[in-house]
Amino acid sequence: MRPPCPPLPVCRYSASLRPGILCFLATAGCSLRGAPSFPIVGAYFPDWMLCGLIGIATTIGLRVLFLLTGVDTVLSFRLFTYVALGVVAALTVWTLVFGP
Amino acid sequence: MKRIPVSGKKTVGIIIAFLCVGTAAIFGVHVSHEDSAHPSSDSGSIDAEMVHVASTVGGRLKELNVSVNQHVHKGDILYRLDSEPYELTVRQAQANLDLASAEVENQTRLLGVKTSNAASADEQVVRARTNRDLAARTVQRLQPLAGKSYIPWQQYDQARVALHDAEVSLAQSRNQSAAATTAIGDLKSSLAARDAAQTVLDLARYELRQTTVKAPADGYVTSLRVKAGEVLAPSQVLFTLIADDEWYATANIREINLSAVRIGDCVTVYSMIDRRTPIRGHVQSIGWGVLSADSAGIARSLPIVPRQMDWVHVAQRFPVRIQLEKTNPLLLRLGATATIEIRHGAACP
Repeated sequence: MRPPCPPLPVCRYSASLRPGILCFLATAGCSLRGAPSFPIVGAYFPDWMLCGLIGIATTIGLRVLFLLTGVDTVLSFRLFTYVALGVVAALTVWTLVFGP
Repeated sequence: MKRIPVSGKKTVGIIIAFLCVGTAAIFGVHVSHEDSAHPSSDSGSIDAEMVHVASTVGGRLKELNVSVNQHVHKGDILYRLDSEPYELTVRQAQANLDLASAEVENQTRLLGVKTSNAASADEQVVRARTNRDLAARTVQRLQPLAGKSYIPWQQYDQARVALHDAEVSLAQSRNQSAAATTAIGDLKSSLAARDAAQTVLDLARYELRQTTVKAPADGYVTSLRVKAGEVLAPSQVLFTLIADDEWYATANIREINLSAVRIGDCVTVYSMIDRRTPIRGHVQSIGWGVLSADSAGIARSLPIVPRQMDWVHVAQRFPVRIQLEKTNPLLLRLGATATIEIRHGAACP
């Protein structure tokens, strides 16, 4: 069972970053709670498609972050590394949110 | 001086790359394993049993007590057909039965008469035999007298003729007695006719009862589009009753995952009418057969085998029937899309 949703005001008044992220994750969990199938304009999209999108977004986000922070220069086989990171992100979301 | 950091960087990069790819691969295998151990389907459907409501007799729809989408209880009167023709048939059958019963009484009386006739015929035989014996004794007595000419031959001849007469009478009365005994007969045919009339009456009464149609189960009336006045043929379906005492979900699970599905497994079902409310259920059964396009063919003919060169074959899916526990009835509509998670999900802690 997932934790119950915190009321919105908690999120609104949280100042520091950590509770903010927690709030985001919790509300994200709330919106994801329910059937692992998402209605978008009258059609149902499966959970793995959402995970895939999250994986792609994470890959792009990490790429930008690593370029800005300079971590990117340390990496080799960047394509494989970023793809692997995206896959790990997608699988993590699946395991945490939809997994058994 | 620059080469050492670059090569160091490169080594670190390669290590990171291998770590990432390795983690992704192991994680991927793990998730794949988990997924096949906990089958799920997002193309299931909510299912229920239904009754196509019809009467075994036909007639004009006289009274319709339900409207479409209405909930009814078992035993409620759904509709009535015009019962007049069936009442008339009952009356006709009743009259036929009365006729047959009267015929039985008639035959009983006739039987009494015939029995009496047979008895009197028997008595006639006794009388004829007595007369014959007397005539025989007379002849016996007269014979020596006639031989010694104490009496005229004429008298002796008359006695012999009388004996012959008496014998003929005896034979006749015996025949008559036998005929009268045979003619008594029995009541079998009239009793059978009465039983047949009784059965026709029972059948007519049964058909009369069929003009009132009662709900065979609790459920919802669907696809009812006619009003009273419609003429229905025997066994014509008027509407469909969706039984709501038990609800099911059907999930089509790929054959490669079927071994992970066991009867009685806990199942989380989401009716997409409200995708936030999990419904608890359990696996009731797994379908034993589906029609495969590759093995389809006309019975008694040769199998149809298409020529092909497919290298990839899509896994067959089998319907898994899941019995749902009691839940909000607003979520349960026959044919609603259902998302089904076997042995995991919110309803299966």
